[in-house]
Amino acid sequence: MSEDPSTETAEETRGAYSWIGKNVTKPDALEKALGATEYVGDMVVPGMLHGKILWADTPHAVIKRIDTEEAARVPGVHAVLTAADVPGSNRFGLAVLDQCALAEERVRSVGDAVALVAAEDEEAAEEAVAKIRVHKEHLRPILTYADALDPDAPKIHDGGNVFQHTTVRKGDLDKGIRESAAIVENAYHTHRMDHVPMEPEAGLAYVDPSGVLNILVGTQYPYRDRRQIAPALGLPMNKVRVIQAPIGGGFGRKDDITAEIHVGLLALKTRRPVRLVYTREESLVANTKRHPMAMNFRTGAGADGRLTFLDGDIYGDTGAGVSLGAYVIKKAGIHATGPYDVPNIRVDTYTLYTNNLTSGAMRGFGVMQAAVAHESQMDQLAHKLGMSPLEFRLKNCLKPGLASSTGQLMNEGCGIEATLRRIKDYMSARDLRFKRPEAAS
Amino acid sequence: MKQRYVLRVNGRGMEAAAEAHESLLDVLRENLRLTGSKKGCNEAECGSCTVLLDGRPVVSCLVLVPDAADRDVVTIEALATDGVPHPIQRQMVEQGGVQCGYCTPGMIMSAYALLLDNPDPTDDEIRFAISGNICRCTGYGKIVKAVRAAAVEMKGQAGNGGAAS
Ligand code: FES
Ligand code: FES
Repeated sequence: MSEDPSTETAEETRGAYSWIGKNVTKPDALEKALGATEYVGDMVVPGMLHGKILWADTPHAVIKRIDTEEAARVPGVHAVLTAADVPGSNRFGLAVLDQCALAEERVRSVGDAVALVAAEDEEAAEEAVAKIRVHKEHLRPILTYADALDPDAPKIHDGGNVFQHTTVRKGDLDKGIRESAAIVENAYHTHRMDHVPMEPEAGLAYVDPSGVLNILVGTQYPYRDRRQIAPALGLPMNKVRVIQAPIGGGFGRKDDITAEIHVGLLALKTRRPVRLVYTREESLVANTKRHPMAMNFRTGAGADGRLTFLDGDIYGDTGAGVSLGAYVIKKAGIHATGPYDVPNIRVDTYTLYTNNLTSGAMRGFGVMQAAVAHESQMDQLAHKLGMSPLEFRLKNCLKPGLASSTGQLMNEGCGIEATLRRIKDYMSARDLRFKRPEAAS
Repeated sequence: MKQRYVLRVNGRGMEAAAEAHESLLDVLRENLRLTGSKKGCNEAECGSCTVLLDGRPVVSCLVLVPDAADRDVVTIEALATDGVPHPIQRQMVEQGGVQCGYCTPGMIMSAYALLLDNPDPTDDEIRFAISGNICRCTGYGKIVKAVRAAAVEMKGQAGNGGAAS
């Protein structure tokens, strides 16, 4: 801040009304540092039962029969539930309702829940889960992009395994190719990734005296949870209350349904409060992940160092459920050019169902995967043209007045050029240079 | 079969009926209702369950109750005295070392054990001391800063004849 307020810059004035750049103490930080914050797994209510899930242990199968009698006889067990016990639609999903709270005739991934148990303690619940017998007939699992694209492969959902195809088109691709002095073409693969929030998923549910199903959960989105829980359990919206509990990290995955429907169903059926806490292993096996993507990119630049075109295909593996995959993978396509001005573009994306774990939102939402491809392409093009990778980016980066791949005009929020210049100054002040790794033999 | 175990937790004798295969973490959380120690993995990977056992930091999910009997256990709940947060707790808040907070109690216990042993640690020593504690939110930088600031503050208190808790 300037000493004399009359010389305050516009930025400083704006700063006085903004939290950005200021230290703000989180209101709940002290309680957390004292160990006093109660996450759902820390909560206990009188009469509480413990819930456990039987997960499918196979990626693709037809369920013939489920035997629960032996499990129900374990002392302390109050309920053993399968899809037949669900009073509502049993469906959930953020883009489309393509996931079953409890598997019906089909198992579509190892992360599918098949049955639920509520018992007096966790040991009894675990014992009962181990005694449930699922008779199934295995189907050929669809695990690769090629399998999912094969029109003769078994369909995971009725509509086929290509859930969505999106396109980005700009300019004249052939013209871009003709004007190129250098072209690089590569295939990139990114892997499935778990968010690993430190708090494994958990929920606590009870039916209150007015008949409202209350669900405490560390969620990112209580209202959207309710919108999915109520129809799945056959309840009117005003009979479901989702209470946001402290959340021990989410990073996108707790945008989706986690323990809500399961713990809610157990509470409805037993008329007792029920707590359900995932183990770390369950957290890794179930719930959404970051999408693995396969990206084939061909990118060109002219002799002047200006990008000429991008020609690319992106295949995203959304697993057995779409979750937010349709948006994530579409977004990877929109961001395939990165923060660069590319005049001629053809990009196609494909959202593919597989029998892998369902993928959904994770920090970056598809942009990270695309960055692996576009930044590698930038480095390789710069090398081919004999330019510094920094100068090459400066020459091509989006600036106010230029438009993105989808025609969005850049305005003052476009900071890539300033960022690159700061890097340039930093490097030249320290005499730092980019080194290209030795080519692998 | 459940047996009775006598534990010394936070300076007080406590009894718990538990199976011999139960972990100290489960007994702290479920029997004694001390839920400040968290269960991030239950297999000694994450450090969120860290407590002090006879002055040494341990992952309590890997300590069987019989092995903790008649030994001194200190948990996060004991760090504040008379409602006054420990300097590590306060600095974690002030330096922004707390986000979702799930790793925080275990992280603080590891730092507390370090400062008991080494009141003037280098950043490398701090990083080593918390290397068994995973934090998915903060990126660790602010946690290291908080521990350093707490060490400075505690040295100041000790120099003034104040109680360095
Ligand atoms: S719960 Fe003990 S180390 Fe993770
Ligand atoms: S603050 Fe969230 S894991 Fe550390």
